[in-house]
Amino acid sequence: MLRRSILKAGAAVAMTATFAMPTYAEVNGPVNYVIPFGPGGESDISARLQQPFFKDKFGEDLVISYQPGGGGAVGWASLNGLAADGQTIMGVNLPHIIIKPAQKDVGFATDELNTFYMFHFTPDAIVVPADSPYQSLADLIEDAKANPGQVTMSGSGKASANHLAQIKFDKMAGTLTTYVPFKGTGASVTALLGNQVKAQWGYTTVGAAQGEAVRMLAVAMEERHPLFPDVPTFKELGFDMVGGAYRGIALPNSASAETTKLWSDMIAEINTDPEFQQKMLDGGFAMLDVGAGEMADFMAARSEEYLNDAREAGLIK
Amino acid sequence: MEFGHFLSAMSPFNLLLALCGVVAGTVIGSIPGLTATMALAILVPITFSMEPASALIMLGAIYTGAIYGGAYAAILLNTPGTPSAIATTFDGYPMAKRGDGDLAVALACFASVCGGMIGAIALLFLAPPLSKVALAFGPIEYFWLSVFGLSLIASLSDGNLAKGLAGGAFGMILSTVGVAEISADIRLTFGNQVLIGGFGVVGALIGLYCIPVLIDLVAVPDRHLKVEDDVKSVRIGEAFGIAMKSKFNLIRSSIIGTLVGILPGAGGSVAGLVAYSEAKRSAKPHQKFGEGEPDGIMATESANNATVGGGFIPTLVLGIPGTPPDAIVLGALLIQGVRTGPSMFSQSGSIVYTFIYGLIIATVLMLPAGLLIGRYAYKSIVTIPKAVLVPAVGFMTIIGTFAIRNSVSDVVIMLCLGVFGWVVARFGFKASPIVLGLILGPIAEQGFVQGWTIGAATNNLFGMFFGRPISQGILAFTLITLLLPVFLARRQRLAAMEDE
Amino acid sequence: MAVSSTSKPQGHIGSLLVSGFFVLAGIVTLYDTIGYSDRDSQVFPQTVAVILIITASISFVVQFLKPSGEEGFGSGIWWRRCLLIVTMFLTCFAMPLVGFLPAGAIAFAGGLIAAMHDKWTASNLLLYWGSGAVIMVAFFSLFKFVLYVPLP
Repeated sequence: MLRRSILKAGAAVAMTATFAMPTYAEVNGPVNYVIPFGPGGESDISARLQQPFFKDKFGEDLVISYQPGGGGAVGWASLNGLAADGQTIMGVNLPHIIIKPAQKDVGFATDELNTFYMFHFTPDAIVVPADSPYQSLADLIEDAKANPGQVTMSGSGKASANHLAQIKFDKMAGTLTTYVPFKGTGASVTALLGNQVKAQWGYTTVGAAQGEAVRMLAVAMEERHPLFPDVPTFKELGFDMVGGAYRGIALPNSASAETTKLWSDMIAEINTDPEFQQKMLDGGFAMLDVGAGEMADFMAARSEEYLNDAREAGLIK
Repeated sequence: MEFGHFLSAMSPFNLLLALCGVVAGTVIGSIPGLTATMALAILVPITFSMEPASALIMLGAIYTGAIYGGAYAAILLNTPGTPSAIATTFDGYPMAKRGDGDLAVALACFASVCGGMIGAIALLFLAPPLSKVALAFGPIEYFWLSVFGLSLIASLSDGNLAKGLAGGAFGMILSTVGVAEISADIRLTFGNQVLIGGFGVVGALIGLYCIPVLIDLVAVPDRHLKVEDDVKSVRIGEAFGIAMKSKFNLIRSSIIGTLVGILPGAGGSVAGLVAYSEAKRSAKPHQKFGEGEPDGIMATESANNATVGGGFIPTLVLGIPGTPPDAIVLGALLIQGVRTGPSMFSQSGSIVYTFIYGLIIATVLMLPAGLLIGRYAYKSIVTIPKAVLVPAVGFMTIIGTFAIRNSVSDVVIMLCLGVFGWVVARFGFKASPIVLGLILGPIAEQGFVQGWTIGAATNNLFGMFFGRPISQGILAFTLITLLLPVFLARRQRLAAMEDE
Repeated sequence: MAVSSTSKPQGHIGSLLVSGFFVLAGIVTLYDTIGYSDRDSQVFPQTVAVILIITASISFVVQFLKPSGEEGFGSGIWWRRCLLIVTMFLTCFAMPLVGFLPAGAIAFAGGLIAAMHDKWTASNLLLYWGSGAVIMVAFFSLFKFVLYVPLP
């Protein structure tokens, strides 16, 4: 289904070509970059940042389209039916692609996705409005311990990176906070800025986008984010939390090893561009380089961690 | 806000971009299934090599044109070209059916320009203070806003309230199908993969509105729209007169549109419905909303175009996109190295102000461009023989629905909904309450669940739902909208009895 | 649309059936919600399902007690309606097999024949099919090559 011949050949051929074209180790014509979410989220922004660099380095357009539905499941379930000639790629997100198939049958399995590169992650962070009484993480923990359940924290969705982080942190700190799910980080930030909730489980990107309007109490990174030298890591404060939402790109699983390698190399090349790195860091993202070769190990480690967290939280059986 | 920004927006290149953008946007918006979001997403790469302000002007022009273009299909085919134009069908299609399609299209154009201007002016002068509206609206306010929108069902279900409410409830149930957006369940799919993505609004609109029209069209030999024998080439003057008489309605609807546009997550469809509801509530006795009342079209069209300017307020001031097209513009800004957020007006002021002036210019250009394209659209729909019109529109629904998510199953779902919608409408369950439920259902659900969670956590459920001033205001409007007609009808009955 | 003399009882029975269907849909929803793991996902569908059951039941009872004249299916020509819809469905199923344009042509042909109430003449035959082909190719090219929609 959806078998597509090379665009160069033109419309007439496209109608009759039902045979698969041999895959070449280069991209021919515009590449369809599917984001399985709506526009405006972290997946969209980071893809948009890649767009000009791809055009610069490889001379072809990266055409971004949105295919929202089912929290990404609609896109991922359709991925392996798409043309595997390297002209179509799709963004993938952790923990989504691990948690969703573990919850129910959503039409795809984690290891069926041919994820060839993880290029960044957005570290978890606790964000409060600039005028919040919480000056430090200790203030928040103190309040949460004194008033169990009364500290409301917004976040994006349930069984998501934000939600897992909230559950994990509550356990480590021995607190009881109330998680309020919103549709996407944008809505969750709006609720925070409007003081509808007391704090937010967000990402470092929120701190970058909102600047003076918010304060981050801690970030879940090994070391401090270069953009926020004053914000401590959870590790510094005694909580062993490093992680967030990881984003990468996948090809249909019928793509040849050659095509997969080519794409892995191309994305790696963009990731090493200092200008691209700077733009990503300015946006609050944290760089990550997991190529096709190391993907299996990376996914295995992540899966174990996420599934453990989710199981302990009662989100999956 | 100096004059210099206005001049730089007026450069020939920017003017050309604005004109092309408006024309392209209008055409895209008029095709059901093609949305402003999609057009903008494709065009972002073109803007890499442009000045940030020029790029923004083009994107803004496309967006505003697309919102207007949605009215064509709504008026001439009873199918909203974009979700924003849902309420345009209520009076637009009846007008077109009785032979006033050209008038309706011209009215939509005037109203859109008016709404667009008021929205853009609010963006120009009042952006920072108005952005607080976005923050003052918490989950509960969204919940009550959706309830207010749903109260429109009562007046849409002409006399058969139970059927209207059942339709609305059914629409809300349809909206829950698939992976839940803010909780962690998959609902009502019955193990079927196809339903995981749920019923998309755009596809559902095409199915529920357009397919029944086609089914009815083929069944009888009559013409699609009634045409007067002496086809007056333009009815711009007449339209302008009507629009001038309804200035109050236009301004009120534009303000509603601007305010609703500021709310992230509400959007043009809700703005149009709220403005329509308000226009209907304050209707004069001789006005028959739902049967081709010009004020109905003007309320919706001015409100939905006002959301363009309104939506840019939180986008630019808070860095929080009001609508999906805003989100794409925000992305384009980030690539250009422009940082949105509280400091944007001071730091990147020249880009912002050039963009706002560009948006105003685009809105003005929409007047001649819109009238011209509108006239052409009307003429072609009226003159194309039915035997070509029906398959052409049918083909369009298929390709348009496919394009939303590149999915054949979406087309099948659209067709099934269409046949279902046609059958139930034949027995008094009209499409509009179902669509209202489908659109407002998620807003109601999320607002309710979030409000309940926060209220329960702070041991203040009652205060959460009924104690907040904005909520009380919306609730009061809802009650007035629902009860006023009942009250007036009773008073009329009493008066009639006294006369006897 | 003209209301034929038979449409009143037909409209009556149809209204009852549709109301009944909605009640059933409400019950199915309630049944489905039992399996949800998250309380947050249950509240809304349950509430709405109850509303649906109540309002649809009222509509059923009112209809039963006071048969009102909904128009029913009216007097249109059935084979035309069916042809239109069936060909559109056929298009969907043919699309993955034969590609978008040939599949779209099925729906187009179906719609054209269904909507053709005049006599076929050589000139309009040529004109309609010709303009149909132009419209389809134009839309196809617009979506595929300008908007980059990956049409099969």
